[in-house]
This record gives sequence, structure tokens and C-alpha cells, in this order.
Amino acid sequence: MTTDDAILDYVSPFDERVRQAQPLAGRPGTIAGATIALLDITKNRGAEFLDQVESQLQAEGAATFRIAKEIFSKPAAPAVIDEIAARSDLAVEALAD
Amino acid sequence: MAEGVAVAGICPAKACPRTVDAMGISDGLQRLSTELAAAPEAAPAGPLAPGRRAPAIAVTSIEPGGVGLDDLARRGAALLLFVSEECPTSALAVRNLGPLCRAWEGAGLTATAVFEDPLDVALRVARTLGWTGRVVSQDPPYQTSREYGLLAVPTAFLVGGDGIIAGTVVGWNQPALAALIQNAAGLIGSRALPGPPAAEPLLKPGCSSKAAMDPEIAAAVSRPAAADEMEEMYERGWTDGLPVVPPTRQRVEAMLGGADGTSSLGPVPPSMGEATMERLAACAVLAGCRPAYFPVVVAAARAILDPAFNLHGQAVTTQPAGQLVVVNGPVRRAIGLNSGMGALGPGSRPNLTIGRAIRLLVTLLGGGMPGTLDRATLGQMGKVGFCVAEDEETSPWEPLHVERGFEPGQSVVTLIGSDAPQNISDHRSRTPEDLAYILAWAAASTWSTNWWPLAEPSVFVICPEHAEMFRAAGWSKQQLREFMYDAVRKPAGELRRGETTPVVAHADRAEMISKWASPDSIVLLVAGGEAGRYSAVLGPCTGMGAQIISREVEPL
Repeated sequence: MTTDDAILDYVSPFDERVRQAQPLAGRPGTIAGATIALLDITKNRGAEFLDQVESQLQAEGAATFRIAKEIFSKPAAPAVIDEIAARSDLAVEALAD
Repeated sequence: MAEGVAVAGICPAKACPRTVDAMGISDGLQRLSTELAAAPEAAPAGPLAPGRRAPAIAVTSIEPGGVGLDDLARRGAALLLFVSEECPTSALAVRNLGPLCRAWEGAGLTATAVFEDPLDVALRVARTLGWTGRVVSQDPPYQTSREYGLLAVPTAFLVGGDGIIAGTVVGWNQPALAALIQNAAGLIGSRALPGPPAAEPLLKPGCSSKAAMDPEIAAAVSRPAAADEMEEMYERGWTDGLPVVPPTRQRVEAMLGGADGTSSLGPVPPSMGEATMERLAACAVLAGCRPAYFPVVVAAARAILDPAFNLHGQAVTTQPAGQLVVVNGPVRRAIGLNSGMGALGPGSRPNLTIGRAIRLLVTLLGGGMPGTLDRATLGQMGKVGFCVAEDEETSPWEPLHVERGFEPGQSVVTLIGSDAPQNISDHRSRTPEDLAYILAWAAASTWSTNWWPLAEPSVFVICPEHAEMFRAAGWSKQQLREFMYDAVRKPAGELRRGETTPVVAHADRAEMISKWASPDSIVLLVAGGEAGRYSAVLGPCTGMGAQIISREVEPL
């Protein structure tokens, strides 16, 4: 067996599939008139932080709505993601502790 | 062999025409001619023939004080067998002559394998092939091989006690080697020495000695392959930071044991690489598992990938949580898991490698590598791998898997998100109540001093001497759990400092808060050495909503 054969004969522990990079969504020039989802991940004091963000966004002319994950340590449920996508132009996710 | 031909083919460093370009072709050729004439001894001219004085050997070995030819031949005679790892004929010679060396040595003939390889490679090959004689090693430029005029390996030299070469055999030549050994018997005054078996092949040509190669080629082929493989594993990122066993196709297939490598156990959070059986087997090989452990690894993988375990959260959290693998049932003894002395520590291959295989699954297929998706502030050594077997034979109680609904005869793996173990010493308690109090209060500061109650499981590993006290008193597992739960309480007012829980924050100051949300948050295992009153508590992984998950170990 040649050295090259030996190298090719390893079994990779990785999932070698190449994933396509997702392009970033377009950025609006202004938030005035936009609808912004405020996602509370339910971590300690995250809601307080969102309160502050929400009042500033509203002062800039944005409409806001609050939505929450079941638990901060798990990905958001598909229904939560779908609702954000359906109802909002922009989203803010708050991490706190 | 003609000197000119040998020199042209080998071109040892000091004979090479390094100045040709600078001096011009004709000048260079003239200079080369002069050098060759001046240094004919630099080139191997064929192996030294009988009657020549044996040159000294410049080798490395594991023998204290090194090895010299005088020492080898002093007791009668010495057989020097020059070999190389890459040469199949060398392997044939080492394997056929190796078992005889011990008998020769007893009669006064030392046998030394002189490898043209690094010492670690030489020792490994010699051991693998059953060589019972001495082992020495040469580094480039293989000066000893050059001194002996080697062109091929294997080449055997018989050296008498007077330092004179008494016989030379090149390649594998069974009749000639048998005659060489009988010649040795005569030199040492022995009636007969066992010779190589007259088994096919009787003749096999050797391979080129590295001393007869171009130095660059010799350096390239003498790189220690094993060491390079280890480095390649790092270059590929197939590691948790420790050296790994390269997952060759052969090893992975042995690990699978005929199981379908393409079947999938599902995606591994957080990066959701697909855990095929083949990739899991690769992780088990990398971790150092034997194939016999693989059914346990598979069961543990099925458990860790249950969404209720919330591996996603555990793999990326800033807390130090690891994934504790608990093994119960007959498989513990079948594969040699340690549940006795040092049960949470080093020394046991199945414990260490099974736990490591599961963590490699998380880091390599799940992408949960520290510094990337694993955001642990400190981490802990249990994240390298942590597998414990319960000592069911010593335990006074039903084992963990039976508590969780399995039959005693089933082999089961249970996964628990947990912190590192904290020691609990108690050599003085004389009542089960006192001991239970000490054990329980040791956990009061786990997770955080004032974080009460804990909803997630705390794992207590009870040592045999502590377990015996509860057995003698007739305490059931549930009785101990409830006593511990009741023992650790504080008024909410004493817990309102620094980090604390909403339960504490909203309670009346005098309201008594328990360390645990319920007795069910206390997991009890028995393991450890028979002597010493040291138990341990493993704090929880919190905030994950993570469940304890058990899976039966099934045939592949």
C-alpha cells in the first residue's frame, strides 16, 4: 500500500457535506414604518433589556411585537420562527444574564 | 561489487560533488574523481566478508549504558541482524529467527536486531514479530550499516569473541542461516543451537539498505510513519486535543463488526452533522475503543441524541457541563469496565475510551469544539470523556437502570448532563443519619452557593464503605434520598445574596427552601474501591430542561 492509498483509506468522522452559505437579507435604510419582532429567549432579565430596546425602536417610528422561545437553551420552535418571518420586517434577539 | 558503481549509486554526503556548479563541469568532474580516490571507504562496497574485523557499532538502545560489540561478543559470539521496518524480507527474518534468540543467548550467542529505523519503531516491530533478542536502532546516515558495507537488508553477521567476522548472509537464505548458526555453535563450544525452520520460502531477496540509498530518499522513507499519522490526525482536526488512533478503513470496519455503516442515528447538535454508524465507529476508533465496546458507544449515542437530552444546549453552553455515561448490567463485566478502585479516574481503557468516543461525537460531528461552538467559560476534564460503571454487586440497592424501568439482566447506558465530581470525605460518621447529612450538605454549594432549589439531577457516587453503613442500617435508596432532600434546607432570607433563584427571590424570608426541587433530583450510584470513605457528588447541568436518558445496549 502506498502512502497515498493509506491516507485515502481513512474514514472521516466528519459530515463532509458542503453547505451553501446563506446570503444575508437586505438591510433597510430606515426602521421608520418597519415591523420589528423582539424575541425574548427567556434568559434572566432578557425581558428588561427588550423593554429598553422596544421603547427606543418605537421612538424611531417602528412597530414592534414581542415573542418568546420556550427555553433559552434550545433552538426556537419552527412556529416561532415562522411567525417572526410572517409578521416582521426585522427581528431583534436579546441575550442577557 | 565495484567501488565506483557503489559510490555513484549511493553518493554519501562527503563524497558528493557539491562544488560542481560553482567550479564548472570539467573542474567538478576532476574534483569528484579526486574525492572518490581519496575516500573510497565512504561508500559501501558490499558486506564485510568473513575474516574481516567487525567494526564497532554506533547505535541507540534501551539498554542502560548503551550497547557495544565487545559486550555482545564477550560471552562467546554475537549475531548482528541488520533489518528495516519497511522491508518484508526483514520481517520474515525477524519473525523466523526471533523466537530462537532466547535459547541462543542462554548458550552464549547474543542476537541483536540492528534496525535502520527510529528506536520506537524498532521496538514496536520487534515486539510485533516476536523477536526475543536485543534491539538497537540507527539514525541517518546509518553509519554502522555503512561500516559493515551493507547494500541490502536483512544481512546477518556472525562475530566471534575475537571480534572477527565468522560468517555473512545476505537476504533470507534459510540453509545459509542454518549453517551460520551451526558455525556459531562451534564458536561458543555448544553442541547445537536451534536453527531457523526449513519452511518456505527458503530463499527471499532482501531490500535496499538505507545506507545504500540517496540520503534524501533514505530520510524520506525513514520518517516514523506512526508519528506522522498522529500529526496528520491533528492536521485534519480529528482530535479532541489528545493523540488519537487513526481511523483506517480496516479499523473502522472492525469496529462496525458487520453493522451497516450507512445507517444513521440522526443529526448531532449543534452543527447537525449526520451521525452515520460509520462516522460513529470512526469516533470510537479515534477514541481508542476496542470493537467489543462499540455496542455501548452506540447505545450512548442513541441516548445523547434524544432531543429530550438537549445536547444542543449542553454542547454550546458557557457552563462546564459534560455528559456523564453510566453503564449498568452484564455488559460492564463483559467488556471490563471498572466500577471498583479509581472508578472515576484513570486506568481503565473501556471507561476512558467509551466516554471519549461520545465526546468526540459531540465535538467532531456536532461541531461542539471548545472555542468554536462550545462556548464553555472553563469547561472541565469530564468533557474529554466521562464513563462510570455502577458496582451493582456491592450496592445494597437496586441499580440505576432497574430504577429506571429495566430488568436487572439488561445492559443499559444512561446519559446525564453533569458537572465535575466533588469529593466528600467522611471517616467519622457512626450513624446513617450523620453520614447522609454529610453527603447531602456537601452538595449545598454545587452549581452556586445560593442557587436553591436545583431542578436538575445531582449525581452522588457512594463508595462501598459508605454504602455498607446504609446497608447495615437497612436504609432503602428512596429513604436515603428523602433524608438528604429534607436535610438540606435554609430560610429564603439566608439565600438572598448574589446569584439566587426566582423561588428564593419571591419567597418569604422565613420560608424554608430545599437544595433540590424534589428527592427525585438526587441520583444515587455505588462505585469505588473497597477501602476509603470517599464518596462524590456531581453537580447538575442547569437551565437546559435536560432529561436523564437511558438506552439498552443491543447487539449491532
